[in-house]
Amino acid sequence: MSVLDQLNGGGIYLICGGIVLFIAAICVVFLVRAWKAGKALGMDPVRMKRAVTSSATFSLLPSVGILLGVLALSGSLGIPWPWLRLSVIGALHYETQVADAAAEQMGIRLGMDPMTTQAFATIALLMSICIMWGMILTALFNKKYLKRLGGKDAGRKSGGGFGDVAMVAMFIGMVSAYLGSYLGGFVSGNGLFTFSGSWTPLLVAAVAALAMAVFTWLAEKKHLDWLDNFSIAGSMLLGMLAAVLVGH
Amino acid sequence: MDKQKAYEEYLKNTHRLGRAVSLLTLVLLLGAPFLIGSLLGTLPDLGAAARGFLSVGLVWTVSSVVEYLVYTPMLGAGGSYLAFITGNLINMKIPCAMNARELVDAKTGTAENEVISTLSIATSSLVTILVLGLGVLLMIPLRPVLESPALQPAFANVVPALFGAMAYKYFRKDIRLALVPLCCMSLLFMFVPSLTSSTSFMIIPSGALAIGLSWWRWRKARKGAEQA
Repeated sequence: MSVLDQLNGGGIYLICGGIVLFIAAICVVFLVRAWKAGKALGMDPVRMKRAVTSSATFSLLPSVGILLGVLALSGSLGIPWPWLRLSVIGALHYETQVADAAAEQMGIRLGMDPMTTQAFATIALLMSICIMWGMILTALFNKKYLKRLGGKDAGRKSGGGFGDVAMVAMFIGMVSAYLGSYLGGFVSGNGLFTFSGSWTPLLVAAVAALAMAVFTWLAEKKHLDWLDNFSIAGSMLLGMLAAVLVGH
Repeated sequence: MDKQKAYEEYLKNTHRLGRAVSLLTLVLLLGAPFLIGSLLGTLPDLGAAARGFLSVGLVWTVSSVVEYLVYTPMLGAGGSYLAFITGNLINMKIPCAMNARELVDAKTGTAENEVISTLSIATSSLVTILVLGLGVLLMIPLRPVLESPALQPAFANVVPALFGAMAYKYFRKDIRLALVPLCCMSLLFMFVPSLTSSTSFMIIPSGALAIGLSWWRWRKARKGAEQA
């Protein structure tokens, strides 16, 4: 039996599946508690339902992308472990980098050299260690941190402070970094200012932005509010379709 | 019991539950490699893991601390416990919670934001778990479709598609502010193209620049309002 066959064995499915089920149960508990708390606070169930529906549709496409991450890693790490990693705590952009670094320390090249059982266990451990800090910080400091932040604002009915402005700014900064990287990749990706790098990410981003503009226009000017729930997922789908059409 | 008291009780129990499940998840995730290793008749090489941590782990540790400090206020108690357990923050959970929050017009720091964020993150996590679970179940029949060469460009561009849509959504809120980090980042990536492999880290200076500028303008506007 090859190492990859062992990594796809029933025992490993059982361990990983058990943890995924545990996390799913936690999500259900938090969901039900928040719903009940919202009702107790007198929040409109229609608005809460809207938040749930929009979050579900919003997450659908990125989740398919994450599933592809499972597929991508399954060739070297088997299916169950990437399934667990990307269902719990992991992030698509993080897993491959850390797995590759751990494999390098074990003297193998991820996806190129045959996997060994010890290399797998080491990779799995490093993947768990490197990204656990957010969870540790929340467990240790969340109560104090949020209390300190919310002291002045507790129980307030409306915002208006710098918090909302900062969040929009943070997102503008984040989006700028990604769009800048696509532009930089096209202009200098194959040598400084050669304009011969990949232009597909730029095209995809432009099509998605244009689609988002159309969705927003329809929602705001034509009063098709329900479209808001699907605007991000729909825009992404159209952007991704553009990539298929240009075939890059 | 009035609404405020009920909400405070809810928050107190959320922290209690959040701490317990975070620590339990941590034990499960750290224990799994050893358990799987023993099933395979081996154990992780702790020396190699330590060396690997020194090469990439420290960077992710700093990133985790920054993520915690920046995103926790936005997500509230329940949302942040869940988001840091289920991951995929930047590419999914944060924009998802922001989107839900905006749809229902909930403001940072309010009880409404706490409830909406938790509902949003929990739903998003369940959808991911469900899609991944179904995908793993269907992996064999699904694999040829998902791996078909015609569809590869689509899945290779999920992130640009997400950020294109987000760009319209957020840039229109403050296009003058957006131009500064966008131009700075574009020039930086043009002159140092090797940075494209570290885009996720470049979010930190780009975000800091945007927040710094908006802070300066916000202070200026507040001073102006006070003087008027």
